[in-house]
Amino acid sequence: MSIILLGINHRSAPLSIRERLSISCGEEGKTLEALKNIPHVREAMYLSTCNRAEVLVNIKPADEVVEKLKAFITEHGNLSPEEMGKCLYVYRDEDAVRHLFRVASSLDSMIMGEPQILGQVKDAYRLCVRQKTSGVILNKLLHHAFSVAKRVRTETSIASNAVSVSFAAVKLAKKIFGTLGRKKVLLVGAGEMAQLAARHLMDNGVDRIIFTNRTYENAVKLANDFHGLPVEFELLEEKLGDVDIVISSTGSPDCIISGDMVATALRRRRNRLMFLIDVAVPRDIDPAAGKIDNVYLYNIDDLQGVVDENMQSRLNEARDAEAIIDEEVARFSGWFATLEVVPTIVDLKNKIEEIVRGETERSHSWMKDLGGEERENIEILVNSIVNKILHDPVVGLKKESLNGEADPYVAVVKKLFKL
Amino acid sequence: MGMIFFKIALVAYFVSTVGYVSSLFVGRVKVAKLSMWVFSLAFALHTVCIVIQWTGVASIPSANIYGSLSFIAWAISGAYLAFQTKTKTRVLGAFVSPAILVMMIAASSGLMCGVSIPPALRGPWVIVHVLLLLTGGALFALACLAGAMYLLQDNLIKSKKVSGFSRMFPSLRDLDRINHICIVWGFPLLTFGIIAGSIWAWTVWGSSWYWDPKQIFTAVSWVIYAILVHQRIVIGWSGRKAAVLSIVAFAGLLFAFIGVNVFFVTIHNF
Repeated sequence: MSIILLGINHRSAPLSIRERLSISCGEEGKTLEALKNIPHVREAMYLSTCNRAEVLVNIKPADEVVEKLKAFITEHGNLSPEEMGKCLYVYRDEDAVRHLFRVASSLDSMIMGEPQILGQVKDAYRLCVRQKTSGVILNKLLHHAFSVAKRVRTETSIASNAVSVSFAAVKLAKKIFGTLGRKKVLLVGAGEMAQLAARHLMDNGVDRIIFTNRTYENAVKLANDFHGLPVEFELLEEKLGDVDIVISSTGSPDCIISGDMVATALRRRRNRLMFLIDVAVPRDIDPAAGKIDNVYLYNIDDLQGVVDENMQSRLNEARDAEAIIDEEVARFSGWFATLEVVPTIVDLKNKIEEIVRGETERSHSWMKDLGGEERENIEILVNSIVNKILHDPVVGLKKESLNGEADPYVAVVKKLFKL
Repeated sequence: MGMIFFKIALVAYFVSTVGYVSSLFVGRVKVAKLSMWVFSLAFALHTVCIVIQWTGVASIPSANIYGSLSFIAWAISGAYLAFQTKTKTRVLGAFVSPAILVMMIAASSGLMCGVSIPPALRGPWVIVHVLLLLTGGALFALACLAGAMYLLQDNLIKSKKVSGFSRMFPSLRDLDRINHICIVWGFPLLTFGIIAGSIWAWTVWGSSWYWDPKQIFTAVSWVIYAILVHQRIVIGWSGRKAAVLSIVAFAGLLFAFIGVNVFFVTIHNF
């Protein structure tokens, strides 16, 4: 029994190769079936995301299996053997477990700590449960991976900092307003990043987004997309007083929102806090606006600065996460190692129980004279003797298996007890 | 008997202070959460201690400055814990808990000393006067701490340093709300406390204004708080200015409460 993980990811393979693999694996169910049909493969899971394609299998140890798996991937991705050799990584047992844990915990992701990967691993596992290609080992391994991922998320703050500009803007808005419910957003212009930020804000429950644009039709179009409200560009100054968050991304060469405009708007909204996000280059909002009390102005460089700092702190958190993973890999390996002695132990126990049952039946003739209580006591006595005798050998076998030296003992037990 | 609870509470406040402050530095909300439980435990013990004193001494537990410090600390803890249930402001504990610890240590130095209360300072109006002012003071203290954290957070966000402490601090809105609620509730308590004192002084001495330094400084703070409440409710002040003013006003109140006894002679027992 051996766990093998092989695959490619964004570090090992260029996009062109990753593309070919992920496209060819469109019919997911079939991939799993094909994998399971390779001889000696007992359990299989297949994970394919835009940054990785990985195969996780539990096999009966045999060298040709790994070659067959490699061939499987080569064929699937329509790759040449040279490409294959350069990109493919193969991990066995403990290394495979570690890799899976790192992937699930998002330590192996392109953007470390991003939350999607865990969902993708869960989907892949769900599919393999549905296709019945998972068994004892993969079930245990995957559930362990999910709990490791959870531990990493709760015990380190690897995933708590925003590492994209638009998400950083949402985080900041929350730092200012607490919750975003009942907050109004004004989107000036139609820049891509502004739209992305608007999308994030909407996912976080802002009340309403108002769109304005020099070309009114564009505002109407965006408003339709976001279920928002379009307003004419001339009303910009007036609308400023109604909103809590302003995202500006016009192509205008000079400022379109001056400090005075913001000051007036703030007075009209009775000094309630305002968050201005200027993602335009050149800038749309006069930097003087940021100096006003209760107004927070962030431009694109400020947001990028936040993201860079967060990235740095994620790297620090990653060290803590690796320690957690080491610990969990050791725990899983402990369980995995005892697996090879488990069948022997089960056989041994079965055989002894068989003997006990046989002998009790043979003693039936003289035992029937005894009272029910006495008979019960005899059974208890016999069982406790058996358990006492079995205890040390069973514990001993498990202990040897943790050191990976159980094979000779297993052989001896099998021979002596004729298992 | 009460002293045992007081001492255990003191230790628990110490532990929660260490926990809260270190949560800021290690950047883990979990640590602050744990500290909150320790803090709640401290508050429960403290409550028991105050109840025992109250029933045992057969008078209010705040007959001297030590007892009243302990009472204020208790009121702040209670108010803060009440806010915890409404807003996610666990990390504010990093300011509240140390402040309480200091008060408790100060209180412990003379809590059980016998107090001789002059006959003129006995009566129900005194109790009302003292309790209202102490509770009001506790709310203002909490407003001041929330205001201080608001200013720090405001400063961090303005200067674009949002990945360190700022990440742990509560949102501006939550801090402002705590400041707001404490001021708006504290103000009537302060007002009625002053009125109760005046009525009682009038019945005993025949006049309610003595140009007592404690009266003067309290009156000055009262005026500042009155302005603040007005600005907040009528003009809609919020955020930075309100936070600054609540800190200034509290400084005045603090001086009236403790400073005056050091620098002036006063008719107040404390």
